[in-house]
Amino acid sequence: MPEETLRPAWSQHFTPDAIQELLAQGPFAKITPEWAWGESTGKGVRVAVVDSGVEYDHPALEHCVQGGVVVEYDSKAKDNYRIKSDEKPLDVSGHGTACAGIIHSIAPEAEIYSVRVLGRNMGGRAIQFAAGLDWTIENDMQVVNLSLSTSLEEFFGLFHDLADQAYFKNMNLVSAVNNIPEPSYPSLYSSVISVAAHEGHDPFTYYYNPNPPVEFGAPGIDVEVAWNKGQYLVCTGNSFAAPHITGITALIRAKHPELTPFQIKTVLLACAANTKRQK
Amino acid sequence: MNPDKDINEEKLSEQLQRLLISIEASGRAVLPKSNDVLLKSIVDAAARIFGAAAASILLVNEEEEALEFKVSTGEADHDLVGTKFPYDRGIAGYVFMTGQPIATSNVREDKRFNQDFAKSTGYVPDSILATPLISSDDRIIGVMEVLDKIDATSFDLHDMELMGMFAQQAAMAIDMSQQIDSIEQALVRGLKRLAKEDRTQDSSDLKSALDQAHSGENRTSDLLVLADLFNDISGLGEAERKACIQVLTTFAEYRKTTSAPRRFR
Repeated sequence: MPEETLRPAWSQHFTPDAIQELLAQGPFAKITPEWAWGESTGKGVRVAVVDSGVEYDHPALEHCVQGGVVVEYDSKAKDNYRIKSDEKPLDVSGHGTACAGIIHSIAPEAEIYSVRVLGRNMGGRAIQFAAGLDWTIENDMQVVNLSLSTSLEEFFGLFHDLADQAYFKNMNLVSAVNNIPEPSYPSLYSSVISVAAHEGHDPFTYYYNPNPPVEFGAPGIDVEVAWNKGQYLVCTGNSFAAPHITGITALIRAKHPELTPFQIKTVLLACAANTKRQK
Repeated sequence: MNPDKDINEEKLSEQLQRLLISIEASGRAVLPKSNDVLLKSIVDAAARIFGAAAASILLVNEEEEALEFKVSTGEADHDLVGTKFPYDRGIAGYVFMTGQPIATSNVREDKRFNQDFAKSTGYVPDSILATPLISSDDRIIGVMEVLDKIDATSFDLHDMELMGMFAQQAAMAIDMSQQIDSIEQALVRGLKRLAKEDRTQDSSDLKSALDQAHSGENRTSDLLVLADLFNDISGLGEAERKACIQVLTTFAEYRKTTSAPRRFR
């Protein structure tokens, strides 16, 4: 293996040595975390967690889960999937509950919806995932946490179209980048907020990377998370970085409902820990 | 590998092509002696590289929709091998379903880990790093786990990313080794047929070797015969390698004409 490929995949941009200082000037210098989300609880913002499900009665979630759906693969159904309502969602793994728990800890009054897209049929995974994302667009979700991705090239176009539809519907898609050094969708589209892990633990300290595709770095290393069956455990992965930014995005949207997806990205950049404001 | 398993022709020709491309790319056949030896060497290396007390590999068992422990090393050794988990169970199941690696610690708190089972082996790890094994054509063929970081309480992101790269190499080797196993019979049939048709040279030795290989008594030695053949041919030079590819391409095309391809999952 050539030496240069031994660098960490995407989170390399967020190691202490690699973080670049950025400058906010003019009107952008006036955007502060206090302005952006101070005193916001994310109240009323609809947040979908597209994942392994969410355990609705996990104590850490304090009844913030409002319902959800299960997307099942079905080779006999139209487009090969079926969507079932899931009033009291469960989690087949624990991963979705972990993401929901992080979002809830940051935006305690946001409404969380579980979109379970994982099942035993591996062949249907990308289809289920796409159908779940489509459901969030059709059902007026405002922020969508995608700690999942596909690296299947044939789904590039479909996910790109869905990401565009979400953008035009004023939604923010927040996607964890792949932990494996290869392209993954939809995390690498420009309209999506892509997130990798950094080493810190303060939930509101995140960084912006001026050399995309990966734009944001948030805590994702040794994060204590909720897991299914009422459990907790300590996890590491970009999967756990994305929900931090999802939570902050929900806070911003609750406080500033007039903002559009690209304005929210601008606000996120302006409030990144490596952005210095010129007075 | 079930020798009676219905081999799909379309898939077969794809596999042949893939195998040949990789052989040509490497310039010589670097075929592993057997799948088990290869897996063992991978987990040994993984445990050493990542400073783990134990390591294991689970591979997909499509018929049973399960992940099966194929090899393990360290404290978790022996009894694990052969044990199966449904796709949607546990940390390995999540990694398999999503293709995303995950590192956890305080695993005792995690009931998904299936404590009854872990306790029965007398080994419950404190930390786990689990990574998907993804073949070069993007199929997830299994999960590799390293357990219990020796010098730290958990595996870090750097471990995760390095393990991703290590797993990529491992997956390619495992995938190739599995393909060799499944295409063995077809390859032998093809070579036999071509040896029979080639009247320009005496191929009687090759024919008898292939006859023996086809008896299926000793699959490992069959594979070695084939590996040696590849080695011999690829070692001769570009023209010979090309000839070999032509031979096998002809075989693949011939197979296409003898039966209509069926969809196969």
